[in-house]
Amino acid sequence: MMDSGFDRRDFLKVLGWGGAAVALSGCGNTSVEDGKETVVSYSEPADYVIPSIGVYYNSTCAQCDAGCSINGRVREGRVLKLEGNPNSTVNRGKMCGLGQAGVQHHYNPDRVREPLLRTGNQGQTISWEDAYKLIAEKTQGVSGDQIAFLSGGVSGHLKVLLGNYLDSLSCKNHFVYEAIAPGVARAANKKSYGVAMPRFSINKAKVVLSFGADFLGSWVSPVHFSQQYAQFRKGVDGQRGVLVQVEPKMTLTGANADRWVAIRPGTEGVLALGIINALGTATGDIAAAVKAYDRDRVSEETGVPAGQIDKIAAMLKLHSPSLVLAGSAAEGYEHGSQNAAAINLLNHVLGNVGKTVEMTEDMPFPQMSPETGNTAALTSLNNGLAASKYKVLFNFAANPVFTASGAMNFKENMAKADFKVAFAHYLDETALQADLVLPLDSPLEDWGTQVPEYLATCAQINIQQPLMEKLHANTRGMGDILLSMLKQRQPDDYNGYEDYYGYLRSAVLSVKDALGGASVDDETFWNRTLSGGIIKFEGSVNKLSANASAAGLKLPSHSEAGGDYPLRLIPGVTASMRDGRHANQPWLQESPDPLTTIVWDSWVEIHPKKAAELSIAEGDIVEVTSKTGSIKAQAYLFPGIHPEAISVPLGRGHEAMGRYAKGYGVNPFQILDAVFDKETGELAMHETRVKISKTGQRVIVVKDEGAAGGQQMGKKIAVRVSSDDVDLSEEV
Amino acid sequence: MSVTNLLDDWAKFRHPHPVDDKPHDPYKWAMAIDLDACSGCNACSVACYAENNIPVVGKDKFLHGQSMHWMRIERYWDEDGRDFPDQGVQFLPMMCQQCEAAPCETVCPVAATNHTSDGLNSQIYNRCIGSRYCSANCPFKVRYFNWYDYPTTDDVWPAEMTQQLNPDVSVRGKGVMEKCTFCVQRLHEAKVVAKGEGRIVREGEVQTACQQVCPTNAISFGNLMDPDAKVHQQWQAQQVELDKDKQAKDENEGGSELRGYRILEELRPYPSVMYLERVRESAI
Repeated sequence: MMDSGFDRRDFLKVLGWGGAAVALSGCGNTSVEDGKETVVSYSEPADYVIPSIGVYYNSTCAQCDAGCSINGRVREGRVLKLEGNPNSTVNRGKMCGLGQAGVQHHYNPDRVREPLLRTGNQGQTISWEDAYKLIAEKTQGVSGDQIAFLSGGVSGHLKVLLGNYLDSLSCKNHFVYEAIAPGVARAANKKSYGVAMPRFSINKAKVVLSFGADFLGSWVSPVHFSQQYAQFRKGVDGQRGVLVQVEPKMTLTGANADRWVAIRPGTEGVLALGIINALGTATGDIAAAVKAYDRDRVSEETGVPAGQIDKIAAMLKLHSPSLVLAGSAAEGYEHGSQNAAAINLLNHVLGNVGKTVEMTEDMPFPQMSPETGNTAALTSLNNGLAASKYKVLFNFAANPVFTASGAMNFKENMAKADFKVAFAHYLDETALQADLVLPLDSPLEDWGTQVPEYLATCAQINIQQPLMEKLHANTRGMGDILLSMLKQRQPDDYNGYEDYYGYLRSAVLSVKDALGGASVDDETFWNRTLSGGIIKFEGSVNKLSANASAAGLKLPSHSEAGGDYPLRLIPGVTASMRDGRHANQPWLQESPDPLTTIVWDSWVEIHPKKAAELSIAEGDIVEVTSKTGSIKAQAYLFPGIHPEAISVPLGRGHEAMGRYAKGYGVNPFQILDAVFDKETGELAMHETRVKISKTGQRVIVVKDEGAAGGQQMGKKIAVRVSSDDVDLSEEV
Repeated sequence: MSVTNLLDDWAKFRHPHPVDDKPHDPYKWAMAIDLDACSGCNACSVACYAENNIPVVGKDKFLHGQSMHWMRIERYWDEDGRDFPDQGVQFLPMMCQQCEAAPCETVCPVAATNHTSDGLNSQIYNRCIGSRYCSANCPFKVRYFNWYDYPTTDDVWPAEMTQQLNPDVSVRGKGVMEKCTFCVQRLHEAKVVAKGEGRIVREGEVQTACQQVCPTNAISFGNLMDPDAKVHQQWQAQQVELDKDKQAKDENEGGSELRGYRILEELRPYPSVMYLERVRESAI
């Protein structure tokens, strides 16, 4: 299988990485100062390195799981900037701000650099050999049931190795936890369409009705959807697409809607049924199910004017195909699954299934398909930890101490495990609770394969390859770590692979023919794969289920809030902060939130009318209290929010992690109540009710709104025109 | 600086554009930004930080208005007094408009900012004495001053992060003014390559960092003198002319199907950036 004479350094040289050590020596942070390497003059550069000329290598962005392909600019052995890879069907050469900041993840000054073992409250540097020995010791003598592995979403060969490692421990407790993920919608889609993540063709729709799906900001695959959105705006057959966004708190997508509809939180499903009723085209059990949802009742419950419901229905009737999306704002309730089911039903009634909701292809290699999860996994891990079921806990690519609902007491429960291992990039809140912290390579210096959950066209495997040599000598790639741990347990199976790179290469080459490389030799195919960065292939095609049924659809009637906690708390998911894993990247901290323009801090969005009622002004420090806890943050008067709700963005409020994250803002995860979706058990993120009170303190809000407070002062600065007055098909 | 220097008429060194004796040939770099496509996502702004070695100033300095974002997204709410912004928000990517008759240029006491033959408003860092007159006179407020020496300021570029700095762009020190350059380092490289081949830069050969990253392709950039350039075609289709201060659209108030306009046209800076109005559906 494996070319035994293979040498990683030789390989790096062949592809042009060999010059990196030479170049890095110029900036004084490598082993040159220790006299371990020889300084080589630039007049004799290594092959493929031309001083001052940038070269580009393809890899895969790891800032989120969307799987955008990147093209990294490398000069003198250093990666400088990431561009999109134009050949990717996911991002077609484009990137988002979060992806751009990937270089700051890599060059971050607060990365963990050495394996650390807890001694009291201190982390003591130990060697990798000792760390591996310790893990072997601690996993010896405990049964597989007593071991738990918590990870973020995983796919590709990393998932394969992780699965094999857990098998070798006879451990079945792999918890895949993503703090922010469309877990409820995935389950509802599975029921409505037959697949968890069908293909949504925004660019083929003439009308998009989105119930809180922030597809331009943070939902599923935002760069991909942004491009579809641009095509949608240019129009299908010369007809410009119309976007209607229904949500209680304006997202970036809502900010771009033709009509943004402020809906009473939690009544999204009611509105969907009301629209089906208003369309009047449904038959059979669907017609019966929506019969009670006449426009007056729906208007009353949702707070959406009856005239608006009629307009939406008329628009949907007139323009086909359309597309209806169920996003996080609709699924974050006890009845979230029901909301999503009602919204999906609307797609069936409108005949969009098969037109704009399309079938996807199955990954022909199911072992590599992405393993996704949401918060239910964390709940079950937490219950196990609370019951002292687990003796050994591994944590990778998740920060549950920061992102778990405060009601879970995750930190305390985690302490009940005897031995906790964190594979970490930063010393974040979770790593600080671990007994052993193992430092990871950055995605820009590691090998890997990745399979996106949302497949834009065909099935594909994305290649991740190092864009430069490692910055720190003692970090390791997760694949290498898993391989080392597997070698301990099954030396016969894995000793043949020198490292993860060797494993990956032989893994890919072993199925070379299936991947379209039958006609070329191994070396050519492998080099072609690396330089392309993507392996595309035809997968088997799924059939979408045409099962449109209203069976089991039950929506609770709207309950008046009130009592001690009169307001809904909407945890805001922003494109740059998301769940906070990248809060230590300064570009993201200083990149203004698009809607409030606030930087470096958290804020409480409150509708100006509600604020006037409570005599709250901008900059007042307010205390937001739920049953679970309370946080204090600056108030920001925000017209794009339902008056019965307030919103605090997620991702900030770190107590650890690094200099750019620690101490900036507050963490609303801490005050989320433990309320769950009844069908899937996912945390109902929007169910927390709060009260708000002034503390008497006030600050100046640090924002980028401009001297005129974001007003145009009668000047024609940002101009809007009615669609009646232009003809886009005439334009360039 | 000597008294003679101060009394000298610096205006004679200024190239006012557009003029007949200094035609834009073969290049006039220009931009078109479609506000109907722009989603306000901020990717352009972050890309600009990455490309142009822009310092992250931190919370306190941001509060004092000392942020350095060459490319910023302005956000405007409707001002019609309704309860909800139910037609969304107006986003506007704002950066140096590379004015043809730039108000910043005339006030610079040392001619540190002036016009290049390819139509850029250039900033010469090592000539700048930090009077900040240019910033005061800029109607778009897109000039940014280095109040601090960021390379030596804590946590702006810690040792590891210096390795990310783009070697093609100088890192600015304390006391100089800076602003969007239309990624002049990329333009320069493309021009050199083209010159070596005895031709001019073709459409698509050079992109600004913001244009390259934009997920909705809202930004187009290129040579306004090149009939093949998308930006040329867009300006032409919208009947926006570089050297006019009243465009076809203005003459046909209300009845025009044109979307192209330049901001603060009435001040006659003759900007090189054309915006396309955001469109909103009236039937919903």
